[in-house]
Amino acid sequence: MKRPNVVGWVVVFVVVASAEALVRLFRLGDSVPAPTATTRALVTELRTGTLAGEIGATVGTYAQGLAIAVVVGVVVGVLIGSFRALLDASSVLIEFLRPIPAVSLIPLAVLFFGFGAPMRRWIVAYAALWPILLNALYGARGVDRVLHDVARTSGVGAVGRLVRVTLPASLPSIATGVRISASIGLLVAVTAEWVSGTDGVGAYMQRQENAFQLPELYAAVVLVGFFGYVVNRALRAGERRLVFWAGEERLR
Amino acid sequence: MTVRLVKRVGRPVLGWVVFAAAVGIWEVLARSEGSFLVPAASAVAERAWHVWPTSEFLSNVEASLRRLAAGYAIGASVGVAVGVSMGSSRRVRQALEPLVELLRATPAIALVPALIVILGFGDRMRIAVIAFGVVFPVLVNSMDGVRAASPELHETASLLRMGRAERILRVDLPAALPSIFAGLRVAVSIGLVMVVVSEFVGGGDGLGHYILVERSQFNIPEMYAGILFLGLLGFVLNGVFVLVERRALSWHHGATGHGEH
Repeated sequence: MKRPNVVGWVVVFVVVASAEALVRLFRLGDSVPAPTATTRALVTELRTGTLAGEIGATVGTYAQGLAIAVVVGVVVGVLIGSFRALLDASSVLIEFLRPIPAVSLIPLAVLFFGFGAPMRRWIVAYAALWPILLNALYGARGVDRVLHDVARTSGVGAVGRLVRVTLPASLPSIATGVRISASIGLLVAVTAEWVSGTDGVGAYMQRQENAFQLPELYAAVVLVGFFGYVVNRALRAGERRLVFWAGEERLR
Repeated sequence: MTVRLVKRVGRPVLGWVVFAAAVGIWEVLARSEGSFLVPAASAVAERAWHVWPTSEFLSNVEASLRRLAAGYAIGASVGVAVGVSMGSSRRVRQALEPLVELLRATPAIALVPALIVILGFGDRMRIAVIAFGVVFPVLVNSMDGVRAASPELHETASLLRMGRAERILRVDLPAALPSIFAGLRVAVSIGLVMVVVSEFVGGGDGLGHYILVERSQFNIPEMYAGILFLGLLGFVLNGVFVLVERRALSWHHGATGHGEH
């Protein structure tokens, strides 16, 4: 068990405290709210349920999009990584689609799905798909041939080898992909909400910005940042359990 | 002999055949549907051919590239500097880690409204957003690269009586280069995402703005042409980066006997 990093959190506290002091000393309240004001806004908005409802909407579409990306990315990635012919066949298509920034597809997705939650779900799924798919692909390609040979001589069929050899062996790589996708997906989810302006934390931030409600705006920023932090922590903890054999070094 | 030739030529060809088939299916489906949402592939290509060379489009490209270059330069320098110091000193790492983790988890779009209030709607806000997106992959990779450098290197450095600064510059930094480059490469595509995100807000120009405007005016093929150009840009930038990386790291592969990381 790691000891808590006291020094680091003291630094965080000092940074926040100096922000408070600077804002008060130089009267910057018009462009940057003091951390205390932000905290007050955060508590009020969470208690009245306004912000709580918005973050709930964000988390919902985000989780659905991520779930779609995990299922599709792992299945397709492992398959492509396991069969040379599939890799050859899909390589150009992947290289063509992958560099398109997912956020640039938001206006397109709006045309297809409108401004609501389905648009955001699919755009998150698309953005989160690539890191998972590619990591699953690399993971599957890197599987030790000997493992396959042992499985085959032990009478395990092709499908069985895919599920019982390739999949577990690619898990560490897949887990890394999921972690990358989780932060990209959150960025895309909030951006899509901002652009569509219907619901979710992104839309909330856009409204607060237009109304110049700075403490409420910053409260939403802090909330999203905190959510991202929690997700990242949770995924790392889950990863440590799930792929415990892969060693600690990959986890940062 | 012929079998090997078929295999060597066949592999890339198969990829292109599938790609052509996908474009063909798109074309046929779009034509039979006749929906204005999905223009035929040929219509998009024709639009792109006409729109891309116009001075209006190129000025948008230029604006986006200028922002990307500035934001990337700032983000990458800060990322390498902070990452290497966090990697080479345990104390610095401890002091900064929670702060970095909290900031890293914050999606850059969340900072846009705050930055608009502080920096206005102009280029400075956009460059700051791009730099924020670029800094963390570079920082984390630089830190990990330095930390992974072998202890023998450090012992050698202390045997040679290198000072702290000299050790960082001549031992830590070169040893971490492959990892730093990996971070820099990821940061290129993240930077491009940030360019688009930052251009979605507050009007002005740039490719992100272009896509948004063409959609709101229902110039759908133009919108597709803009998205395609962004993909092409990402592809080319990544390709250029791989070339630079190969050049810059050729000594490393020779020195360690390893291939690409």
